[in-house]
Amino acid sequence: MRLFYLNLYALLIFCCSTLFAQSKDDQLINVDFANANIAQVVNDLELKTGAYFYYDPSAMDSVLINLKLEQKTLPFILKEVFKNTAINFVVEGKIVFLTKNLEIKKDLAEGYYSSTVAKNSVVSEAKEYENMDQLGAIRETVTANKVYEIGVKTNEIKQGSATVAGYLRDQKSGEPLIGASIYSNTAKVGAISDQFGFYALTMPRGPHNLLIKANGNRDMRRQIVLYSDGKMNVELQEQIYTLKQVQVSAEKRENVKSLEMGVNRLDIKTIKRIPSVFGEPDILRVVLTLPGVQSVGEASTGFNVRGGSADQNLILLNDATIYNPSHFFGFFSAFNPDIVKDVQLYKSTIPQKFGGRLSSVLEVTNREGNKKKFTGSAGIGLITSRLNIEGPIDSNRTSFILGARTTYSNWLLKLLPDDYKNSRASFTDANLGISHQFNEKNSIYLSGYFSKDSFKLNSDTTYGYSNKNFGLKWKHDFNNKLYGVLSLGTDRYDYHIQSDDNPVNAYKLNFDINQVNFKTDFVYNFSNDHIFDFGFSTIHYKLHPGSFLPNSSQSLVIPDVVEPEQALESTIYIGDKYDIGNNFSISAGLRYSFFNYLGPQSLNTYASNLPITEDNITGVNVYGKNKSIKTYHGPEIRASARYNFAPDFSVKASYNTLRQYIHLLSNTTAIAPTDIWKLSDPNIKPQFGSQVSLGFYKNFKSQTIETSIEGYYKNINDFLDYKSGANLVLNNNIETDVISTNGKAYGVEFFVKKNTGKLNGWMSYAYSRTLLKMDDAQGGILVNDGKYYAANFDKPHAFNFTGNYRFKHRYNLSINLTYSTGRPITLPVAKYNYGGADRVYYSDRNAYRIPDYFRTDISFNIEGNHKIKQLTHNSWTIGIYNITGRQNPYSTYFTTENGVINGYKLSIFATALPFINYNITF
Amino acid sequence: MRLKVLKVVLLVMLFFSCRKPYNPEITTVNSNVLVVEGMINIGSDSTIIKLSRTQPIGDKTKNKPEIGAVVTVESDANDKYVLAEKIQGSYVSPGLNLAKTKKYRLSIKTSKGINYLSDYVEVKVTPPMDSLNYKATEDGVQLYVNTHDESNNSRYYRWDYNETWEIYAAYGSTLIWENGRVNDRDMVNNNITRCWRTNNNHPISIASSAKLEKDLIYNAPIAFIKSDSEKVSQKYSIRVRQYALTKEAYEFWENLKKSTESLGSIFDPQPSQLAGNIRNVSNASEPVIGYISAGTYSEKRIFIARNELPQWQYVYPFSCAADTIYPANYKATFEAGDIIPLLELEVSGDRAILSTVRSCADCTIRGSNKRPDFWQ
Repeated sequence: MRLFYLNLYALLIFCCSTLFAQSKDDQLINVDFANANIAQVVNDLELKTGAYFYYDPSAMDSVLINLKLEQKTLPFILKEVFKNTAINFVVEGKIVFLTKNLEIKKDLAEGYYSSTVAKNSVVSEAKEYENMDQLGAIRETVTANKVYEIGVKTNEIKQGSATVAGYLRDQKSGEPLIGASIYSNTAKVGAISDQFGFYALTMPRGPHNLLIKANGNRDMRRQIVLYSDGKMNVELQEQIYTLKQVQVSAEKRENVKSLEMGVNRLDIKTIKRIPSVFGEPDILRVVLTLPGVQSVGEASTGFNVRGGSADQNLILLNDATIYNPSHFFGFFSAFNPDIVKDVQLYKSTIPQKFGGRLSSVLEVTNREGNKKKFTGSAGIGLITSRLNIEGPIDSNRTSFILGARTTYSNWLLKLLPDDYKNSRASFTDANLGISHQFNEKNSIYLSGYFSKDSFKLNSDTTYGYSNKNFGLKWKHDFNNKLYGVLSLGTDRYDYHIQSDDNPVNAYKLNFDINQVNFKTDFVYNFSNDHIFDFGFSTIHYKLHPGSFLPNSSQSLVIPDVVEPEQALESTIYIGDKYDIGNNFSISAGLRYSFFNYLGPQSLNTYASNLPITEDNITGVNVYGKNKSIKTYHGPEIRASARYNFAPDFSVKASYNTLRQYIHLLSNTTAIAPTDIWKLSDPNIKPQFGSQVSLGFYKNFKSQTIETSIEGYYKNINDFLDYKSGANLVLNNNIETDVISTNGKAYGVEFFVKKNTGKLNGWMSYAYSRTLLKMDDAQGGILVNDGKYYAANFDKPHAFNFTGNYRFKHRYNLSINLTYSTGRPITLPVAKYNYGGADRVYYSDRNAYRIPDYFRTDISFNIEGNHKIKQLTHNSWTIGIYNITGRQNPYSTYFTTENGVINGYKLSIFATALPFINYNITF
Repeated sequence: MRLKVLKVVLLVMLFFSCRKPYNPEITTVNSNVLVVEGMINIGSDSTIIKLSRTQPIGDKTKNKPEIGAVVTVESDANDKYVLAEKIQGSYVSPGLNLAKTKKYRLSIKTSKGINYLSDYVEVKVTPPMDSLNYKATEDGVQLYVNTHDESNNSRYYRWDYNETWEIYAAYGSTLIWENGRVNDRDMVNNNITRCWRTNNNHPISIASSAKLEKDLIYNAPIAFIKSDSEKVSQKYSIRVRQYALTKEAYEFWENLKKSTESLGSIFDPQPSQLAGNIRNVSNASEPVIGYISAGTYSEKRIFIARNELPQWQYVYPFSCAADTIYPANYKATFEAGDIIPLLELEVSGDRAILSTVRSCADCTIRGSNKRPDFWQ
């Protein structure tokens, strides 16, 4: 019944003007309106016809009328005047009622169905609505039934196109919705919202029926009449899944339709469902379940994307570069799950606005904070606790979000043997975000991140590292088609080690890296076929590569300070996303980067054509302050193309080249917080990488199951490896201890994802290889005689399954399965006696592998009752990490004990590890 | 310093972790690499160069000496001193008393006629140790070396050591079964109750003052003896030799230590090839293990008696009990040699012998009953 009513209602809106076209009134008059408002029109008509108008002038004052007619009847004139507006009229004798949106129904016009032209149009309109209803999108909100007028209203719709733009936000919190789609059924064009929730859609002028979809939110419809460029913001309701009804969506074709390849987007809700060790949702661990992402082991700081080393990932938290994304040496990730909104990993198509790293971009976006009311949450786990609060500062325009986490892991260390009873370990981090909207066109966003880790071993050596990031963004909308973002930020990472155990040797070692960023990014929605983006950025780096200072008055340590280094990395980029027809799109981007290594600096020069060793130093060049010592520059190409063979099947290809000017030097298997970063200089070339990839994307079952196959081949040039026995810390001539390495990586990734329904999750399998080769003729002793060898994270077979099953609305179960080939290791192949003990002689680097890795985790999430009116909402997560208790080898080692060689296999989390986590939302 | 710090991580990991012996299947390659160990002693002490070959990991034999080689010390002024093979693989020359100003190298010609040469190395004269001392804590005894060089020339140091300690059997034996009867034991020459054990195995101890204002090494840790160790159950002695090294030699030892002694977690340096200073003359890419230095060493010995240490409890490694044997059973009991007669006694008027198993009465199964010359 209700459906029928709605249909009829819609039909009436569209047909109102024709309804009364047949009314009889013989008085013929002339009218000539030029930019007349409604009051002027009414006055004129009242004068000329003696009719009396009932209307609300304030509701209709946005209409401007241009019309010239001669010898027409009043109803005919009214019809022309209000054509294409939401104003309805009824003529009853000498009385005219004007209403907006709602019409007064006199009766059903008899002659209506006899008009064949009108009939056809009406039927087609009505049909379209029926079709939509069959697709399952029921227009429920009042606002969806309203017709919105966009732009400066005219009675006559001009020819050509106009752009509607605005923000898509979550109704409950006012947070922007990223990656939401807005699609016109009428014009068959659509747009995707960006990281601000901003969209721009260019369409023919006239009435449109818009469908808005965002992951996790209920689909929305808007009816608009587009007169000229204008604004429309839409707030979407949160999707509440009901048990009986399976939501089938028509347009979840993002993976097939988008131009992006190798991009994974995860929202925090998904991340929170996945079981993690200690029960705290961990973003980096979830990233590790994606195809093409590897790590050297559990609890290691870095991750490796498609064969890239850990320093080749650009990790951005609200656009700030995070140099160390881990706490506790990799047991926890640096991102607070209560603050994070979503995570995007770019593995293949790296947008031209990003650069500076070779392998991937991990973009972590924090929420902006609830713009409507104060809320907060708290989580209590075995080792960490966290708290966050957020809310509006004034009305709807300013919001803040503040989150903090801390550990109380010392109890854990107290359980260790007495030898270590004085050990301490802890971390803290805090996030702050403030966003403010000055007006429709200007917004600023401020964000800060601070983290601190500290360790103390038996009261002699203390150790700590810290991230400090601060960023300010100003977004300005020039018009509907063009907006720009100006960002300014500082990022810092530092670590220190100090020891006072031995008074003579007491020292303090410091390292830090600082960068100041400035960038502008512009997006120009030229038309629906072309979206341009362009911008400029510059980063000033300042590194203090190490200072070694006495730590007490008795200490005899000679202060040793490695000369600070600085550089400027500047970039310009431009890109165009071009739709050639409905099925074919290309995106072409060009990025040009300049790197200037700046003084003051003194640099060694080396004899040409001889190995770079201390013996071959020919002299030292001293450069003055801010003198440009060496410039590297070059273009980077970011190109991708997509062809849709069917609405649910597409093929994509991409080619990317990238440059990297800052390098992490590490001679450990996993990156350690104490590894050092080094800028390219005259003796150390930038890294260069290129990747080609090809992918097939197909959706099944009404787009609810996404599948993809992606293959890639990648070249890595001038990656830095270290020479045997190199000491990388406090090395004044570091170029003598590193060696350029080239690598290749290739693989195929299979991915299946089910987004909706009671059972959802994803499954991935990847076959991938990463091989490195030291072929620098001037490198001296080469690893494996200059032949290819497997990288530390080369795990050819990797399988992941992450699934969630929702029994009831309040209960759901998550399972996570991980399998991979064991990582390569260097094993001892022979023994000999030397220096008082049996010792081992190693094989070629990474010639063997540790046993395969397999792990199953399970977690059960219980949400509290859903009564709206209660002080706090609670939820529990209980689970078991590594439920099978498999002793996966973490590392193997061979050590000389009492003169005898013993081999050991160390497994961490070697038993089923239960966890519990309690969360409160208020 | 990284090592130490990262132990924290391992500690945390260990809490959740388990360590199991690991014996991977390794394709049996016999790398058979030449290993050269020793120092050209320019003073009055002997120069000893040991040559051996690497063995497969699973090989049970103790060592694989390289025999029949011709080993020569050469100076940059073309002086040559040939070493003689005293025991298999050990090439020795008595005090060479060489000039400190020259540089020296080692030349090896194997029995198969392959020539190896070390780089010329400069002479490092080692300063004497200032002190060799110890400190007892709850957990055991830590030994330290202190040294300095007024001329600031030494900077890089290595120590090796040799430990000797006195041990006692659980029961004293005054009797001996010989020639089919029980006799009194020769308590001077055939005492099996008091013995001395020695140990030459030790981790690499190195330290450097390169980052300090003065060439001073303060309390460099050498050996650590756990409180429940037999080493400190009676009397303990350690002889430490100190070697001053060149920077390159120090790096070799540091690298050797890192790649063969550290824990092997993923935060430890990856094992890497050792760059020594010895090469095959005709094939420079052939790996050779070892670093030849030239110079002198200084040494010091100390004794630590039980009464200088806290009253620690030492548990004898075997469980022991004594049993009474009657004459009728003497032959059956003692002839095999597994049961040792301790002393004669009378049990309700009958003669009998108190006896115990060999491991409880004979210290020579674990040490030597020959008193070392230096023992005080």
